[in-house]
This record gives sequence, C-alpha cells and structure tokens, in this order.
Amino acid sequence: MNLIFRFLIIIVPILILVFFTKVLLIDEDNKLINFESKIFPEFEMRDLNGNQVSAQSLSGIKILNVWASWCITCLVEHPFLSQLSEKNIEIVGLNYKDTDSKAIAWLQKHGNPYIFSIYDPRGDLAFDLGVTGAPETFLIFDNEIIAHVQGEINQQKWESIFLPLINNNQDQS
Amino acid sequence: MIGEIAHFLSLSAAVLLILILIFNVFFSFNKIHSNQLTLSLRLFNQACFLVFISFGMYIYLAISDDFSIVYIANHSNSQLPVFYKVTSIWSAHEGSMFLWIVFLTGWSILFLNSLNKNHPLKRLTLLMLSLIILGFMLFLLITSNPFERILPFGVIEGADINPILQDPALAIHPPMLYLGYVGFVIAFSYITAYLFNGDFELQWEQDIKNWSFVAWIFLTIGITLGSWWAYYELGWGGYWFWDPVENVALMPWLASTAFMHSLFASSKSNVLKAWTMFLGILIFSLSLFGAFIVRSGIIDSVHSFANDPERGLYLLGFSGFISLLAMGIFAYRIPSLNSSKLVVIGSKESFLSMNNILMITSIFSIFLGVTYPLIIESISGDKVSIGPPYYNTIFAPIILIASIFIMISVDAAWQRSMSLRNISLTAAIPSVFSLIITYVVWYATGIFSILAYIGIFSGLLILTSYFVRVINNLFNNRFINKGSAIAHIGLGLLFFVVSMNSILSYEKNLNISLDQTVAVDESVTAFSFDDIKVIKASNHDIISAEVSIRQDGKNVLLNPQKRKYITRGQITSESAIQATILKDTYLTIGDQLENGSWTFSLKINYFIKWIWISSALMVLGMLITIFKQKTS
Repeated sequence: MNLIFRFLIIIVPILILVFFTKVLLIDEDNKLINFESKIFPEFEMRDLNGNQVSAQSLSGIKILNVWASWCITCLVEHPFLSQLSEKNIEIVGLNYKDTDSKAIAWLQKHGNPYIFSIYDPRGDLAFDLGVTGAPETFLIFDNEIIAHVQGEINQQKWESIFLPLINNNQDQS
Repeated sequence: MIGEIAHFLSLSAAVLLILILIFNVFFSFNKIHSNQLTLSLRLFNQACFLVFISFGMYIYLAISDDFSIVYIANHSNSQLPVFYKVTSIWSAHEGSMFLWIVFLTGWSILFLNSLNKNHPLKRLTLLMLSLIILGFMLFLLITSNPFERILPFGVIEGADINPILQDPALAIHPPMLYLGYVGFVIAFSYITAYLFNGDFELQWEQDIKNWSFVAWIFLTIGITLGSWWAYYELGWGGYWFWDPVENVALMPWLASTAFMHSLFASSKSNVLKAWTMFLGILIFSLSLFGAFIVRSGIIDSVHSFANDPERGLYLLGFSGFISLLAMGIFAYRIPSLNSSKLVVIGSKESFLSMNNILMITSIFSIFLGVTYPLIIESISGDKVSIGPPYYNTIFAPIILIASIFIMISVDAAWQRSMSLRNISLTAAIPSVFSLIITYVVWYATGIFSILAYIGIFSGLLILTSYFVRVINNLFNNRFINKGSAIAHIGLGLLFFVVSMNSILSYEKNLNISLDQTVAVDESVTAFSFDDIKVIKASNHDIISAEVSIRQDGKNVLLNPQKRKYITRGQITSESAIQATILKDTYLTIGDQLENGSWTFSLKINYFIKWIWISSALMVLGMLITIFKQKTS
C-alpha cells in the first residue's frame, strides 16, 4: 500500500509532465497544411434579425466565425473581430447552439462585428461544417472553404494563416 | 540608460544566486561552517535587494513614459494617470512575471531573516529558495525580457493599457493573488529542506504556520477581488465562471485550506504528518502549474497571455523539475516519517483526515475539468468545453458530505473517539433546523433544483451547528474556538448564499424608446427611459443613459454607460448597479435598434453582497487565529 502510494506520487506528476509537453509540441500549423478546401454546404436559414440567408450570401471573401453567448473564449477574441470589421473585412457570424434573445443581448452589450449572424440553435449547419465547438473561424472564398481554425482567432493566427491565403486569392482573381 | 541599469541589476541578482548555489553545492555540501551560512545569506539578501531596486527603476521607467521599452510601449500611454502607468506593469505577461519574482524574493528574504541564526534548516531552505528564484529570473530574462528596447528609435506614444484593466481593482487583484500564490513557496522550501535534512525529531510546524496563514489570507482576498471585479467592473453579470484560470487559483486555495487544517492536527499530535507535508508541497506545485497554464497559452481563457510555446516549455520543465524534486524526496522519506500512528475513528484527527480526502477529491475534480478538454483534443482532435454543470454536479455531493463532517466534528476531541450518542446529539438540532428552513425556502420560492437545495441544506447545517455552539458559549460559557467558528460560519454562509443566488436571480431584456415607461414585473413596477447623451472624455466616448425605475415601492435612478475607447476601438460596458442588502439591480445598456429604441438588460441578482461578506468572515476568522496564537 505504502509502496503504491510512493510510486504514484512520482509517476503521476511525470505523466502530467509528459502529457503537457506533448500538447505543447503539437504543431498547430501542421494541421493546416493538410487542409483540403471544400465547397460550403447548401443551407437555407434565418439570421438573428429574421432575414432569410443561404449559401449565396457568402460570395466574395468572407470570414465565418462560429460564436455563442455562453462561450467565454468568444469574448476574448471579440475585440480582435471588431478590429477586423473596422478594416472593412466582412465577417459572418454563425450563432451556435444559443438562444436568439441571449445572442442579440450579447451583441448589443459587446458590439456587433458581423454583417449578419446565421442563427443555428441546434447546430445543424455547424455539423455540416464539421464544427466541434465555439469559437471556430473559417475563411471562405466564393463559397469555398479554404481555411479553418479551431479556438481563438488572434493577430498571430490571422497573419500566419488567413492573410497569406487572402492575398493569394486576391491575386488570382 | 536607466532601463539598461535595471536590466543589469536583475542579471547581477541572477548571477549572485548562481554563485550561492555553486558555492554551497559543489564546494562544501557536507561541511557546514557558520561563516558559510552567513556569507550565503548575505549574498542572498543582496540579490533580493538588487531585484527590488531593479523593479523600482522599472516603475520609474513606466511613470516617465519611456516608450523605447517594448513592454511599456505596448501597455502604457502618456495620457494615463500615474496610477495606471504603474498598474500597467502587471497588466500583461512580462511585467506581471517581474512582479511575481519581486514577491518571491520579498517573502523569501523576510522568512530567512526571521529564522534563528543557527536554525538547522536555514541553509537548505536558502538553497531551495535560491533555486526557485533563479529559475524564475532566468525565465524572465531569457524568454520574456521586460527591458527589451525598440531599436534604434522608440515610439512617441504607447499603445495604451487594455481599457477593461483601467480599474482600481486591477491595482490590487493581481498583486494580492500573487502574494498568496507565491507565499506558499515558504512552506514548500521549508518542508523540502526538512525532508532533505532527515532529522525527523525536529519541530517544523510552528516555523511555517503563520507564514502559510498569511499567504492563505492573501490568496483568499485575491480570489474574492477577482470575482468582485468581474461582477462590478467588467459587467459580466456573474461572480464565478469556472474559467480555467479561476480554477487554477481555486486549486491552491483548496490545497492550502486542507494544509492548514492538517497542520493543526500534526502540530497537536503526531498524526497526519505525511499528509501535511504532502499538502504543503502540493500547494506550491499547483501554483506553479497555474503559472504554466496561464502563461503558456495552452488554454483559451479570458485571463491567458499570448501563446508562446517556448515559454510554455520552459515553465513546464522548470515547474516539473521543482515539483518532482520535492515529491521525489517526499516519496523517499515516507517510511521514516513515523506518521503511521493509527487515527482514532471519531476523533478530531479522523475528521481532519476526512477533510483532507474531500479536499484532494475536489482538487482532482477541478484538475480533471481543466485538463479533460486538452486530453480529448489531443486524442481525437475535438474541442469540448466543460462548464458549470460539470462542476455543480461534482461539488454538490462533496459539499454535502463535508458539511455533515463539519457539523459532527464541531464537538469532536483530539485523540478520543466520539460516542454515537454524542454524534446524534450534536447532529440533531442542526439537521432538523436545516431541513425545516430548506423546506420553507422551497415552499416560498416554488422553484426546485436538487443541486441548489443540497447547497442550501449544507450551508444551513454548518451555520446552525456553529450557532448552537455560539449560544452554548454565550449562555453556558462553553469553550469556543473563535477564529475557527467565524471562518466556518463564513463558509456555511457562502454555500447558502451562492445556492440562494442561483435559484432566485433572473434577467429581463427590454426594448424601449426614449421617454417611454414600461412595467417589468411585480417587483419593478415602472421602468422609465429618461435621457441619453454622448459625452467626450479624454481617451474615450461615453454613451450615458438615464433610467428611473420604481422598485418595491421605491424610486431608483440608474445610469448605465457604454464606452468606446479611441486608441484601441474597444467597447466596454459600465453597468449601473443599485445594491441593497438583499439584492442587486444590475442594468446594462445595449445597442440602438433601427427604429430608434434602445435595448437594456435588467438583472436582479440576489445575495451578492453576502458572497463578499462570507469571504471576509473567512479572512477575519483566519486573522483571529493568527493573533490569538501570538498572544497565548
């Protein structure tokens, strides 16, 4: 009994250490190199203001940001999204597994960087997109998804992942 | 120039610490001369003073707007009041790490110089503290240098502090929290030194008791202030979010609370000695783990600093090394600690060891809640989020069991078993009272939530059992431990009010035009939107609304605001709060809609003030415990 306890005291911290080292060393960028672009799924839904929206509303270069009023990390990345929208970058919100009254109140309280927010209370469209939680951010170019980031979007990820792709696609068109 | 001098002083401090370690470890680890200790201590004191002077110079640089320093240029601004220029130092990673080190050296220098000149553990404690401080100094200077310059020319104006951090609470919340976190370095180093030393006849509890108590007070105040700040200043509308960073502050708090209880048992009799040492080591290990979680960017949180894998790896390696060193020597020494004396079931010690087990269970549950999303992500790539439902479900039963033990243990004695008859006598009155009051609450509110009622019942169990004791003390003159009673009443109150808050509070969203009046509910019978205006302030625009409500027959004026900060374009919300002793009326202004009307969010939050009161009671109880010891 005593021996097991002594063993555990040493082995548990080591396991924790190994685990976190592994997590730290996962290369975020590796995930993206293997990213295959795909066509944005068809959908007919309403936005938070009750207007009809569909895949046709996503022409040109658009950022799609999955958010929810219950999501604390969304609040963290929110000032950055506001900065982007002030630079006239068009961000579409996908309000994920939320209730519309709470979502609207949240936008009113913290500011609304989105040109519109698709209301997806059950997460149907999010499921088709392969969303696993909030926040996630997609880069869409003429209905085609060309990048997908899970977790907080920030200056660093914006500059290393999104900006090169945007410049690239703008040159081509 | 001053920046370079400050940088140089910090480097010199690191060099001095390296000298102390080399000197003691490689040249004369076994031979101990008193001169050697004197010299080491002198070097150590000098290293600490160099750190203090360096930090003082850094404060001067911040006040004098030296924007050629990257960190100050990024986090301060010439328009800021002097007060915020100083607090901007700990508004982000590099500066707050510097503050952390200053506190670390502060605690260490006070503790070492308070120890008796020939104390057998003085040298080993000094070495352990030097090692820890050196680790953090190198981390600061190598991976997060606060003195870095923008070369060749600095910028003219700084980027400004984040507006939500421009608040008096920020000036106190992080320093208090750090003082608490870091304060447990003393228990950690001292226990490690004790275990290395190997003389287990030595009395060790008294030397670190009060230091740990004081650190606990700082930690408690720091956590409460954070909660207070989120509620009143950030306008989040709540006081606790089970955010990963709140959790990593709660874990050392739980560990230190268990540690103090355990310390009482091991200083009274020889039991739980191994437990106490383990907890003492665990607290600071959890603090280190917290520093890693917050500063590696591994978790997305409102508190986390920028993501930098290099920093993460360094902190992980260093924290792991320090913790494993302590845990390793502890595991090696367990057999010789003589702590195996059996604990009498039903004695005070047995309840305290039960307390230890419950606290460890809570810490483990929180740890799992923090790491589970990371485990899942690394296995399947999915992101999951663990929120209040998990923690509420886990904590309700733990709180219930803990409350029952607290209730019974009020009358328990050291080393003697409690008879079943005594247990039933002690438990009878509180149980009956608590059940009745819980039922009354249910009947009066008509709301049912099993978890909330477990919380209410548990809180009442603790409160009533201590009230019985207080009455016994006042009328029958029976002994009562005042500090403990006050702290536990605080705890019972906390369980009670938090649960009451969760069932009673509600929120209404309103959509109203200027000069309109609407009725909200039975309590708020009139809500009038009287005025709205835009005010220009030095670095932000303010949209300020005037709202008068008639609540419970009284007229109340509320003045919610929205601020737009010019430098960063950030919008913050200043809620208007009308607080009475029972409930807070919390009004936030939203956006203007297309038809010209405005949206408001009206929250009625119950018992918020009592949350702060309960935490103040715990601190008060602790203070009484400290001062009572000193006089006796």
